[in-house]
Amino acid sequence: MSFESPIPPNPSGAPPLERVTVMQGQALASANASIEYSTVLGSCVATCLFDPQSKVGGMNHFLLSEPPANLPGTQVDEHYGVYLMELLVNQMLSRGARKSNLKAHLYGGANVNRNMMKIGTMNAEFAREFLRREGIALMREDLGGTSARRVDFRPASGQVRLRTVEDRFAPPVQPTLRPALSTGDVELF
Amino acid sequence: MTTTTTRILTVDDSPSMRALLNHALSGHGFDVSQAEDGMAALDWLAMNEVDVVITDINMPRLDGFGLIERLREGSRHRDRPILVLTTESSDEKKARARAAGATGWIVKPFDPEKLVAAVRRVAH
Repeated sequence: MSFESPIPPNPSGAPPLERVTVMQGQALASANASIEYSTVLGSCVATCLFDPQSKVGGMNHFLLSEPPANLPGTQVDEHYGVYLMELLVNQMLSRGARKSNLKAHLYGGANVNRNMMKIGTMNAEFAREFLRREGIALMREDLGGTSARRVDFRPASGQVRLRTVEDRFAPPVQPTLRPALSTGDVELF
Repeated sequence: MTTTTTRILTVDDSPSMRALLNHALSGHGFDVSQAEDGMAALDWLAMNEVDVVITDINMPRLDGFGLIERLREGSRHRDRPILVLTTESSDEKKARARAAGATGWIVKPFDPEKLVAAVRRVAH
């Protein structure tokens, strides 16, 4: 089993795993072989990270909004995007992964809603650029297009199942805003 | 009146975060240097002068707590302002940073204006 192996079919129909839905704005990681992360993506992007040595995997799910008015020059809120990616990386490291071992898959980023100008493309480009800058190898991507996707990911084995689903199954597009409680507040001791 | 540029060392293992910090701080006239973890920061600080250190917590080799403790052990950086910039939000981690000798605690994602204001406030 590896990050390149798909999740095998389960003809017996037995429910082998605990399925955990990764919601928009979440980043989860685990080395638990009984967990399967699952998410449905329209314009949102999911990053799957896997450390083949420590057998730790993680997934996030994000859709970045336009940047705040005081941060011109970028098309999406890169500050919040880097924060969400760092949350995922830190979750991985706290469970024993090493950053230099990390390999990535990217999914989603469809332009499902024609009224939203290529927001999926912009989010996909942000994710690719983040991985490039961090030196994290992108092993597989299925990005763009106009169809929603469902991604199932087993963090302990790195196995992935990707399916196209009807757009109505994708959650409504809600650009991710910075959480109200996390606005870069400063506390001097 | 003389003006001197405030020199800042940013310590973060994420090149993306270092780029954001560099952009935010250089744009306000600060002289910004970068280190990729606590060990690289110690090496850099052994050879260079700085006015403020801004450090992440979760880093390989030597984390932010270790960096602060090592800097406070010696006399040269005992009073150097050190701001922690982190995704961590737990009170326990914040208390640990304070006990190690941090000057301030900033939660990511950072607001460039608030960060700049904090740097100006602590810079001697």
